[in-house]
Amino acid sequence: MIALSVAAVLAIFLLYTSIAGGGNPSISPSELGSRAEKVQLAGLVAGPVRGDAHAAGLRFGLSDIDGESRTMVKVLYRGSVPDLFRKGRHIVVDGRLRNGVFVAEPGSMITKCPSKYAPKTSDDPA
Amino acid sequence: MPELGRAALVVTLGLGVYALIAGAAAARLGRRRLALSAQNALIAAFVSTLVAAGVLLTALVRHDFSFSYVARTTSKALPTPYTVSAFWGGQEGSLLLWLLVLTAFGAAAVRLNRGWAKSLVVWVVPVFAAVIVFFSFLLVAVASPFATQVAPADGAGMTPSLQNPYMLAHPPLLYLGYVGLTVPFAFAMGALLSGQLDERWLVATRRFTLFAWTALGIGQLLGSHWAYVEVGWGGYYAWDPVENAALMPWLAATAFLHSVMIQERRGMLRIWNVLLVILAFSLALFGTFLTRSGVVNSIHSFTQSSIGAWFLAFIAISVAVSLALVFWRLPLLRSPTRLESPISREAAFLYNNLLLLALCLTILWGVVYPMLSEAVQGESVVLGRSYYDFFLRIFGLPLLLLMGVGPLIAWRRASLRSLATTFRWPTAVALATGATLLVLGAGSSVPGLVAYTFSAFVLATIVLEFARGTRARKALGATSWPRAFTSLIARNRRRYGGYVVHASIVLLAVGIAGSSAFDSVAEARLERGQSMRIGDYTLVYRSLDERQVSNATEIRATLGVMRGDRDLGTLQAGKNAYTIEQQVSNEVGIRSDRLTGEDLFVIAEQIDPNGTVYFRVFVKPLVNLIWVAGLVFLLGSVIALWPDAREQRRLVSREGEIGVPATS
Repeated sequence: MIALSVAAVLAIFLLYTSIAGGGNPSISPSELGSRAEKVQLAGLVAGPVRGDAHAAGLRFGLSDIDGESRTMVKVLYRGSVPDLFRKGRHIVVDGRLRNGVFVAEPGSMITKCPSKYAPKTSDDPA
Repeated sequence: MPELGRAALVVTLGLGVYALIAGAAAARLGRRRLALSAQNALIAAFVSTLVAAGVLLTALVRHDFSFSYVARTTSKALPTPYTVSAFWGGQEGSLLLWLLVLTAFGAAAVRLNRGWAKSLVVWVVPVFAAVIVFFSFLLVAVASPFATQVAPADGAGMTPSLQNPYMLAHPPLLYLGYVGLTVPFAFAMGALLSGQLDERWLVATRRFTLFAWTALGIGQLLGSHWAYVEVGWGGYYAWDPVENAALMPWLAATAFLHSVMIQERRGMLRIWNVLLVILAFSLALFGTFLTRSGVVNSIHSFTQSSIGAWFLAFIAISVAVSLALVFWRLPLLRSPTRLESPISREAAFLYNNLLLLALCLTILWGVVYPMLSEAVQGESVVLGRSYYDFFLRIFGLPLLLLMGVGPLIAWRRASLRSLATTFRWPTAVALATGATLLVLGAGSSVPGLVAYTFSAFVLATIVLEFARGTRARKALGATSWPRAFTSLIARNRRRYGGYVVHASIVLLAVGIAGSSAFDSVAEARLERGQSMRIGDYTLVYRSLDERQVSNATEIRATLGVMRGDRDLGTLQAGKNAYTIEQQVSNEVGIRSDRLTGEDLFVIAEQIDPNGTVYFRVFVKPLVNLIWVAGLVFLLGSVIALWPDAREQRRLVSREGEIGVPATS
């Protein structure tokens, strides 16, 4: 019983800390609007990919994965580019909107790797 | 052929349903013949699943693309080992592997225990059968590996990143771990149903739990090593939901393996142990669910699949039913003994359990938080690395310290004076180590320094225990020191195997602390002939070569490596461009220092057409201790798992008086 109550206290403690600190909202490009706080943006790489990630920065567009919305957010990214990054891939970047461009934090890009569990889908150009 | 596979699975389902109904009826009504028949049905289910697995394996090896599964996961050009590994490369195949391992464990657990724990096993059979029914139902009705189609000329092939030796061993080991946790769960439920809540169910499942736990641990470490060597981002663990999915049941099982000892010895923590087993089993199911359902944002992308909802329902039902059983048996679960002092071995084990559970809950919270926040606030919030790192320090460091304290402190009640005597030397060693490291500059990371100091403490206690035990055996008449040492381990495998596992966790902690708290990174764009420095290493970019192999173009940059004035030879880093799959993969260059365990880790991040390369270089001190820890962990587990004739005799002789907690 002591143990159970301690576990319950811990759960509340965790609840508290995760609400109070850390954690970014994870949103899609169409939900970004003009929000200026730090967010995690998940989307589909669309439009031409230009620039150099290790110089002035890589520029590309990011649109919704489900494709229902036509919104495309311009992204500026510097730092490591994962192997799987290219047009048509699902990626996640952290950052915030500045003057209409989503400026990603250096090195924050994650691509979703094609998993052994996922059969090839139509949006996968490979 | 596909008909045979389908039929075999239907037979498995039928046998499962029979074992469930007949087993439950036999246990309820006390029919011995019927109970035996249900047990045999469970064993037969293993045979029929083996037939189904054989059919799929044959189809894979023979490149029979009329099986949709084979066409989807392999191709003719795929090397044979990976053709075999495609068995668990897709959803249906991995479910079949789940079922195969499940029925194998069921058959083994029933056969090994029905002699000495008959009255318990009759109730275990229907529980096991229920889990088998779930999985075989999925395979028959929802996700059949034996779906057929008009055979295409060639299959779709396998993702290049999965074509490496790690994928031969990593997934099956995780499955052994996940599925193995069904055994203690089924026995715990059997104990609740039968009302026989003495420690027999713990004794019957100890080795199964230990085996599953070992497989899960090694499987995860292999996954980490794969990420480190093959994926090439410079790390080995990213707190990704799919990685966490395997870590959570492992932590719960670790807590269970410890608290079990308290129940065996003192009859305490009975409710707690049952709850831990339920937690471990549910987390194993949850882990499988996470990797299948696509509900989490993971670097592994998972398409929405049909079986996610089934899993969620099964988890909900098994948790609800098992908690109801616990509640029902609450009067019988009450411990006859109480905690006597907060400074005792029981208490130390309890603290260890709480910390392990806290860590487990931390991770669970982090995994489900995006979903919960989406449901509550309408917006998914993701908890980042800092969240996990923070709690790993808060809960992990005290856990590390307790690993040295727990095994040495007295049962029931320890006096402060005895504590001072016991821990005098380890404390001195730890303080000396800490002070030395501080002078050497380890103060740059306080958590890292604390981790090192605690590690020295634990290692000192382990060495002390081995030394003390060996000396005692020598005094008792062992002919030589090595013989005294081996007989010490042989006479109490569980205890000394445990110490070896503890030593491996220390190595792991030191490796993690070294590579995460004291690492360094440098990056630069280099033209041929230019060089860069990191720590006391100097790297010179010498040349760039392109090579055409059968399925890819390999580009490699060659770097000369110097450490101080010493020439360490060359290192290659580059990229492979896979032609058919249109995929690029980083091929990192790693130079390990055998003596210090330090790695120089080079990524060629970007290779420009004019031959300049953007390099990202890490120096990771002590990182190789993590992999060494895996070997030591395996050694310790094998020592603890090794069959012990003396223990068997003890069990048999105690069977009469079982239920009375041993005192001493």
